[in-house]
Order: sequence, then C-alpha cells, then structure tokens
Amino acid sequence: MKSSKTAWGLLAPTLIILGLVGLLPFIYVLYVGFHDWMIFAKVSGLVWAGVDNYRELVFDEDFLAALGRGLRFTIWTVSIQMVLGLLLAHLLMKKFKGRGFFRAIHALPLTVAPLVVGATWRLLTIPGLGPLPFYLNKIGIDYNIGWSAQQAFFTTVLMHIWHWTPFVTLTFLAGLSALPKEPFEGAMVDGANQWQIFRYIFLPMLKPVILIALFLRIMDALRIVDEVWMLTGGGPGTATRYVGIHIWRVVFPMTNYGYGSAMSVLLLYFIIVVCWLLLTVITQAKREAGT
Amino acid sequence: MKTYWKLVIPITLIVLVATVLGACVPAPPPAVEPPVEEVAPPAEVPTWWAEAAAPYKGVTIRGISESTPPSKYVLEVLVAPFEKETGINVEFEVTSWDEMYTKAIRDMEAATGIYDFVYIEQDIIYAYLAQNFLVDLTAFSEANPNLLYPELEMDDFTAFIDNFKDAEGHVYGLPFEAFLKVYLYRTDLFEDPEIKAAFKEQYGWDLRPATTFEEYRQIADFFTLWGKEQGVELWGSTVQAGSHPAAFYEMFETIFPSFGVYNWGINMENWKATTANGGALDSDRAKEALRYWVEMLEVAPPEARASTWDEVAASFAGGRAAQGWVYGENAAWIATDETRSAVVGKVGVALPPLYEGVLDDAKARRGYIGYYDGGAMGIPHSSKNQEAAWLFIQWISRKEIQGDFAAKTARIVRTSTFDDPLVKEMDPKVGGYYTLFKEHGDLFKGAPPFPFHAPIREVILPYILKAIAGEMTPEAALDEAAKAVDAELVKLGYGQ
Repeated sequence: MKSSKTAWGLLAPTLIILGLVGLLPFIYVLYVGFHDWMIFAKVSGLVWAGVDNYRELVFDEDFLAALGRGLRFTIWTVSIQMVLGLLLAHLLMKKFKGRGFFRAIHALPLTVAPLVVGATWRLLTIPGLGPLPFYLNKIGIDYNIGWSAQQAFFTTVLMHIWHWTPFVTLTFLAGLSALPKEPFEGAMVDGANQWQIFRYIFLPMLKPVILIALFLRIMDALRIVDEVWMLTGGGPGTATRYVGIHIWRVVFPMTNYGYGSAMSVLLLYFIIVVCWLLLTVITQAKREAGT
Repeated sequence: MKTYWKLVIPITLIVLVATVLGACVPAPPPAVEPPVEEVAPPAEVPTWWAEAAAPYKGVTIRGISESTPPSKYVLEVLVAPFEKETGINVEFEVTSWDEMYTKAIRDMEAATGIYDFVYIEQDIIYAYLAQNFLVDLTAFSEANPNLLYPELEMDDFTAFIDNFKDAEGHVYGLPFEAFLKVYLYRTDLFEDPEIKAAFKEQYGWDLRPATTFEEYRQIADFFTLWGKEQGVELWGSTVQAGSHPAAFYEMFETIFPSFGVYNWGINMENWKATTANGGALDSDRAKEALRYWVEMLEVAPPEARASTWDEVAASFAGGRAAQGWVYGENAAWIATDETRSAVVGKVGVALPPLYEGVLDDAKARRGYIGYYDGGAMGIPHSSKNQEAAWLFIQWISRKEIQGDFAAKTARIVRTSTFDDPLVKEMDPKVGGYYTLFKEHGDLFKGAPPFPFHAPIREVILPYILKAIAGEMTPEAALDEAAKAVDAELVKLGYGQ
C-alpha cells in the first residue's frame, strides 16, 4: 500500500505536466472543434456548431485532397525510409574501416531543425539560382520545383528521406545490437541460406522495433508542415499542400480556429485508424504464418 | 596520428565540397534585406523626451514588425538613441510577414500583452478596428497631454494616415512606412541605341516604358529573346508568383486595378464577388487580367515561380529582368547600393501599364492604378506599457528624422519629407521615384477596407496558385474563386 502511494507520488509531477501540456490542450482542441470560431467574422467569439464542422469536413474537397496528398507522401517516404534504414543498419553492423565515422555522420541530418532543413533544400533547389537546377540543366534536365508538380513532390519526398532515414537506421541499429546471436548461429549450422535467415529469424525478431519505427514515421510524415512549408510553400499550385500545411493555413493565416481544430482532430483519428489497421494486418499475417 | 587523420579527412571533404559548389553556382542576387547602413541621428534630440519618459525609465517595451528595409532602419538606427535618451528599453522583433501576423494577431486576440506596439499594415487595419484590438491614439493623447510630443505635427502626415482613422477621424496608428508599387525598368537597356534600333525594327515603335499591357508584353518578349541571343541571364519581366500570399497580392493589388478590376472584384455594397450577384471577380476583364499575368511567366526568370516580394526585388537587383512591378521600399537600395545591386544607376521608374480608361477612373476617384502600400505602428489594448510605447512610436515618426529615413528606405509618410534635401538629392539616383510618388501617389490606393481581408485572401489564394501551376485555367480558377468568396463571406457574416 505504502509503495503504491510512493509510486503515485513519484509519478505525480510527470502526470501533472503531461496533463497540462498534453491532455488539456487536446481537450481544448476537441472543444473548439465543436464551435465556429473565426476571429475576423462579424461574430468573432466561440459559437456552438455541434458536429457541423465535421459534417462539412467529410465533403470538403480541399481537405480530402490534402489528406490524399499527405497519404501519398507518407507511403513514398516511409516505405523508402524503412527499406533504406534496414539496409543501412545491416551495413553498419558489419565491421569495416571507417564504420565509426560513417555511423556518426549519417546521423547528422537528425540534428538539424526541420525549418533549417527546408531552408537548406530551398537554397539547393531554388529555380534559376540553386546548384541542383544548375547541374541538372547541364545534363539536359529541366528541373524547376516552382513549376513541375511532380518534381516538387519528389523533392519533398527526397528531403524527408534524407532527413529522417537516419532515425530509422538508429532505431534498427539499437534493435539489431540487442538481438541474441544464438538463433542466427543455429540457423547457419542447420544450413539456412541468407534469405531464410532474414525472412524467418531476423525479421520476426526485429518486428517490435520495426513496428515502433514504422508507426513513428507514419505519424511524423502525415503531420509534416515545417520543412515542406519552407521548401515549396505547398506549391506549385497545391501539389505539396499536404494535410498539415492545409490545416496550418486554415488555422493561422485564415484564422478559422473552429474548422481548423476539427481538421486536427479528424487527422488524429485518421492516423490512429491507419496505425491500427497496419497493426491488425501485420498481426493477422503473423497469425496466418503461424498456423 | 590516427585521430589527426580522422579530423583532417572529413574537414577537407567539407571544404572541397563547399568550394566546388560555391565556384560552380551562378552568383545569387544580393541579399534580400541586408542591414541598413548605420547613421547617427541627423537631428539633435530634444530633452523633452527624457522628461516625458522619466516615469517609465527602465521599462522594457516589445514590438513586432515585418522584416522590411524601413523596419530594419528603425531597429538599427532609431532604437538605440531612443533607449539612450529615455532609459526605456526596446525589444523590436523584425520577422517574416507570415510570422509577424501570426504572432501579433494571436497576442491581441488572446490579450496576452506580449507586444506593446505592433506593425499594422494598411490592409489589416480594418480587421483590427472591427475587432477592437487597438488603442485609440487620439483619445490616448488627449488623456495624456504630457506624453504628446509637441512637434509631432499630425497635419504634416500625408493622406496615407487616413487609412488608420475610424469614422470619427480618430487615429489608431502612426504611419512609419508608405510607398508605391511601381514599374521599374532598366535604363541602360531601354536607352541602348542598338537595342532601340532592333526593337523598333521588330515592333515598329520606339522603345520606352510601356503604357499598355500589349506594349509591356512586347518589351518582355523582346528582352527575353535578346537575353537568349546574347547569352546573358536576362528575362522580360519579374513576376511575383511563388506559392505564397505574395502571388495573390501582385494579382489583386497591382494587376487587377491596372486592368480596371477594383476592390478584389468584390461588390462593396452587397459583399458579393460573382458577376451574377454584382461582383467582378469572375468577370471577363478579371479573367483577361489573370491570363495575362500567368502567361507573363513565360518571359520571367525561372525563380519567378518561387518569388515573393523579396525575391522579385532581388531578381531585379541581380539584373535578371528588364522590367517589373517592384515594391517601392526596395527602389532606393536597388538603384543606389553597389554592395547589394548589380543595376546601380540603371534604374528607371514609371507608372505601370494600364488598361484603357483606368487612368481616367483613377483621376475621377472611381478606381486606382496600383498599390499604395505601407503601414503604421499602433498599440494593442493588451499592452501593459502603453505610455512608453506611445513615446516610441512618436519617436520613429518625428519630422526631423524623416529625410534620412526616406532616402535610405524609399518610404514617405510626411508631406514635408518630399522637400527634404536628402530626398531631393536621392531622387534622380532612383529614377525620379520620389517625384513620381509626390505627383502621382494619389492615383494609387491601398487595399480595400475589408474587415475580412485575411480569410478571403486565403480562400482565393489556392485558386490563383492553381492557375499559376496550370492545375486550372485562369478562367476556371476565377469562376471557382468567386463562388468560394460568396460562400465564405456569408459564413463570415457578410452578404447574407
């Protein structure tokens, strides 16, 4: 009994802070989402709207298009990050000259703030002035992210991969370092080939780590704002106006707090559903493999 | 020894890569907003300031503004002498346009009192007044006569101050910057005999600043081709078409008015934008204007599609465009500062090209030919140091500092400044910008008095960006935008 009280006492400061900075703002966003609140409207205070904002959202083509673009961006970035991260982690587990140096520099992008990443990539790619368009032009590629929607999209994908693959690699490295050697040695003694070891020992044993990395990356990619905002501003047109940027524009420049809050809540719900679906599919696959 | 090589190899690699990139990349245009040259305050500081500020000595006031040449001038030239004279500390945050609005509006809306003075751009004042964000400075100065600088001379402010008054004529902000968005052109190109002859041969008229849109396009076409033939990086016109509200502003406050589409195409009597309801946003003229502007990208530098007002100024200063629509606050440094501009002494200023009848509309006050931009400094109700803030905003509006301020940053808010010797000396160097400002400023106008400026801009912006990117035709974009504006205005409580 006493130890339980002590535990709660020790946890209390953390729980209070979490409640203040995590739970309360969330409850507030939920509350605002059920209201009309546009500070430049004739009636500028909170006006109860019930579920009107959510009803409108379901048919809001711009929001749905932004969500679709965000999803497409997430699929591209996260799948490449996971594969690259796994390969790099595997590589960095091997002993070779300069491994320590490479391990250190490959994590450097993680230390850079997203806004700075976006600004740097903007300088690299700015049409007419950046080194990337300059050199690509030399080899006959007309690269202009201010004009080509596809080039802008894939440049944001590339930037995000560059920035966040090291996070996946480091997560996998931690997971790989903790794996016991015995199952691998046993499999080799039994004559398993590299693919069999990878498929039947390595992947299942690393699954918890893979899931953590996957969910974190999905959440991050779906919410992305700052680095893409700096690089393309959501353009050209609406080509890179991902859902995070769309929400930001509705909440801040447009000052439509009620509708923006509803969008945020719906995005959170969407992320939870995506992750839950993924978890269900993976678990189901494992169950089927087991039977 | 091993550690030594561990350090040397990566450092050498980094230096090599940086050198190669630096050497191969074409020189970028000069920095967008380099610091304004520091100068001593030109006039003697009256002791009145020290006496008036005595009760507030040690107080710290905080303000926020957009990072523009005038704001940087205030920060770098005017703040320190104020602090020295009054003992009031000033924290003046000069930041990006987006961030300035986000921070200032959030602060005033939540009444947190972080900022004691804020930049009020002319286009947002109506929204701020509607929300009662600002202190009535007329009433405030009447209530605090001891804080009213005796030589403030309110009558000396240009008519621009009227934008910051309410229906009763009470002032809510003291103007500190005002300028025109003008037509800049390269005099060295326009006056080159060989170029003039080639142009006349091709188009049959003498090369000079365009007065019509057809002429403007012909000039743009000519110089784009000429640049290609000469192997120089020169294009026909700047275009402010980045994925940013700047694209909206160039279209709605520069191109539309000069095509004769005023007040964003919104009927101000019934708050409707569709032609079916008396608006003009989806009118044939508006569509013609948008198509013209979007097609101008064909003869603009590649960076035009990523340009805001800053990059437009930088492109022109970098000698990459023969002509363009450029905010006047940049005219001075583009025309005179060799450390930042490649076109010093080569800048001409003219009225923008106009659609037939627009000049007559402007003279008869039925319309306007372009954008008269600027802003004032005001005090939020939430400020906890209103007295000290009031002293500071008077300090930066003093008559005696206006000459140097105007000569350095091409902004004028007082009538007397036009006759200041420094401004007169600067005028020919800036292609007669100040004379044009004085003589034709009344043909330009600020943003329409909409209390819903930002939300409606955000409704329209995606359609303009889609037209720029080719996702929609200009015609379809304006059809959709007009419908969206009508719907949004109803939501905002207008045009029911």
